[in-house]
Amino acid sequence: MSGETAHIEPPLAGGVQTLGSITEKISSIAERKAPRLWYLAFGAAFSLLLVLIGSIGYLVFEGVGIWGLNNPVGWGWAIINFVWWVGIGHAGTLISAILFLLRQRWRTSINRFAEAMTLFAVCCALIFPAIHVGRIWVVYWMFPIPNQMAMWPNFRSPLLWDVFAVSTYFTASLLFWFTGLIPDLATFRDRAEARIKKIIFGVLALGWRGGNRQWKHYELAYLLLAGISTPLVLSVHSVVSTDFAVSILPGWHTTIFPPYFVAGAIFSGFAMVVTLTTIARKIFGLQDIITINHMEKMNKVMLLTGMMVGYAYSMEFFIAWYSGNIYEQFAFINRAFGQYAWAYWIMISCNVFVPQLFWFKKLRRSIPVMFTASILINIGMWFERFVIVVSSLAQDFLPANWDYYSPTIWDISTFVGSFGLFFTLFLLFIRFLPMISMAEVKGVLPQADVHYHEAGGERG
Amino acid sequence: MKFDNDTYRITEPGRFGAIALMVGVAGLALSLVAYFVDSEQFFHSYLVAFFFWISIALGGLFFTMLHHLVGAKWSVVLRRLSENLMTAAPLMIIFFIPILFGFHELYHWSHDDAVAPDSLLQGKSGYLNVPFFVIRALFYFVIWAALSRILFRTSAAQDAGHNDSLLRKMRVTSAPGMILFALTITFAAFDWLMSLDPHWYSTIFGVYVFSGALVAMLAFMTFVILRLRAMAALTGTITEEHYHDLGKLMFGFIIFWGYMAFSQYFLIWYGNIPEETIWFLHRWDTSWKIVSLILVFGHFVIPFFVLFPRGPKRNPAILKFMAIWILFMHLIDLHWIVLPNLHQHGLHPSWIDLTTLAGIGGVFLWFFWRRMASRPLVPVGDPHLEESKKFVNY
Repeated sequence: MSGETAHIEPPLAGGVQTLGSITEKISSIAERKAPRLWYLAFGAAFSLLLVLIGSIGYLVFEGVGIWGLNNPVGWGWAIINFVWWVGIGHAGTLISAILFLLRQRWRTSINRFAEAMTLFAVCCALIFPAIHVGRIWVVYWMFPIPNQMAMWPNFRSPLLWDVFAVSTYFTASLLFWFTGLIPDLATFRDRAEARIKKIIFGVLALGWRGGNRQWKHYELAYLLLAGISTPLVLSVHSVVSTDFAVSILPGWHTTIFPPYFVAGAIFSGFAMVVTLTTIARKIFGLQDIITINHMEKMNKVMLLTGMMVGYAYSMEFFIAWYSGNIYEQFAFINRAFGQYAWAYWIMISCNVFVPQLFWFKKLRRSIPVMFTASILINIGMWFERFVIVVSSLAQDFLPANWDYYSPTIWDISTFVGSFGLFFTLFLLFIRFLPMISMAEVKGVLPQADVHYHEAGGERG
Repeated sequence: MKFDNDTYRITEPGRFGAIALMVGVAGLALSLVAYFVDSEQFFHSYLVAFFFWISIALGGLFFTMLHHLVGAKWSVVLRRLSENLMTAAPLMIIFFIPILFGFHELYHWSHDDAVAPDSLLQGKSGYLNVPFFVIRALFYFVIWAALSRILFRTSAAQDAGHNDSLLRKMRVTSAPGMILFALTITFAAFDWLMSLDPHWYSTIFGVYVFSGALVAMLAFMTFVILRLRAMAALTGTITEEHYHDLGKLMFGFIIFWGYMAFSQYFLIWYGNIPEETIWFLHRWDTSWKIVSLILVFGHFVIPFFVLFPRGPKRNPAILKFMAIWILFMHLIDLHWIVLPNLHQHGLHPSWIDLTTLAGIGGVFLWFFWRRMASRPLVPVGDPHLEESKKFVNY
């Protein structure tokens, strides 16, 4: 190894870290009293959750008429929010599955965090199509359950594929997350002082003892789950894109939709991970574990996926012109210059222009810049779905049908409330579970190298 | 061929180059005859052959830039091979010249009398016209030539002695290079292949063609490595571990190709708009159906299952077979894109398909082999070379 020292990568964890200090640092977050900020945040999140519950309660009582939907625009904020939240989830699966298969070991500091985000984002997403059905008490009709009426959902409908795709995704993500948690849950069990904690973590740790054979099985299981989850990263949002693309509506029916939606999903998901980690690493003092290098790498992913999304926007525009189809051409010119032009240019600015900041190393490594950019990108990605859903529906083939869509207070309260659900779950997660995978972070420390002692390292 | 494992150089290139050149010249001569026998068939077959070889070269350009951008270390030993491939991309401009004489046979939109009564084609004439088509093609070649030249020269300078600025230069070139590459290959696919049927359009077409090119390039590189291995070259440098990773990449991008192909087919099938379905109907209603099915199974299902387990990816014999198989499927894919425009009544293989393929291929391989023999087969100045040689999968 000598002679190559100049090219060795910076260590994945900063500061002086030992195996013990990692355990101590991460476990103590869940063991000591929560900081006041946590209580404040939880109070705010929980209030928003109550707003969500109230909005849904009124919706069930009164019906979807309380939303701003009108005659041509039968899909409004609910579908936009659904696609947006599902998209956010994708970063978690990408980090945990695809980056694992690509041997990107820097993922270890952020994967637990991102996987949890995936689960909670999918929870938020699932609410919207479920409450959109109108008669929510027969929502189980979405599932193909044999019944005496011999009534089945339409298997050719992408809305049914969504039910399968998203529920499969949720199940696989949950299993993956839980499998990854097992060694850390055992650590929590071993450190727990209260009996009730010992029992709960003991049950959840599934009898983990950290033996050689257990690790061997565990790692094989993790690899297999990563393999199984990888196609899900691509398939879920591809299926979501077919909700639009199988129709013949101009602006919806275009063949690039599946990969375009996947790129956008990863883009927004990484933006959300960056938003959350910049806050969490600051509050809990995790700058040595989630280092600026990790943040920089995530910003590079955003730069890449942002340009993929930009590529898709340009292809759509070019082909709309090239097709010679006047409806297709109108749909796109109308997007850029019609009644929803403001939304279109928010989308372009946030999704295409903002990530270009990350060409500069200085900006890529600046916390205020990336925090602002990540929020702008999430706004942009929300508007992308708004542009797709609303602009195509509001002005379709027959001018006599055209109308302008605007949301009501209930649209807004339901969406804002969904943040309450997301953050409530997230805050509970960082309060009670290890928010960083201790076992995996230890794996990337120099002490984990079997030759560490021979190389003259100190005892860890 | 003789190879020196210390300097990584081919000391005696042997007769392969001469044979390839002879085959190439003979193929081109026969193709010239073919031009006078059946010019329409000649140009269509020629376009397939041209795109087959240039797609491999462009795949090499992509792989090289990707390697630099992600800072990969395992693939350092493969870098020189992809660099040798990418230098063939600008050379292909010579083989592009004959296409300029085939507008009449290939591109319906170049007929003034066809455009006049056709309002759709009139609308596109700002893009689909001969001068602009030529300018664009020239632009693509300039971009490809510039990128491959900068990357190759810097890499050659690195052989003489490493310094960090060279590695950095290659990375800095690759970042905007990747954007230019994405745009040029997309529009090259639109111009050269999609506009064969000028009424038809698909937003994913550029990505679809790119995915096929990348798989073909990976297969070609794998084949070259395994041929070298049979001649005891690079055996301790490019190991089973690298075969394994190449196998994984082929597997992954076979799925990617299938994903693109399926997205394109499925959304058009479901939407069922005549102006879009016509393209697939031309490839389904007649004996072209057989070719469509061969693509589904040969380009996706079979490689998927063969390359899925660990064993075959580490088995040189199986991997070599799959590399040839995938290359053949890529050829069929291009044939299936181009030829139904000529033979609308069914599959119609021709001897000209073979002479054009061998003609361009012979010269391509001769050039490639000269490149291989001119420099060490691995980037000897790369600081991560030893790491790459010792790389193991976990």
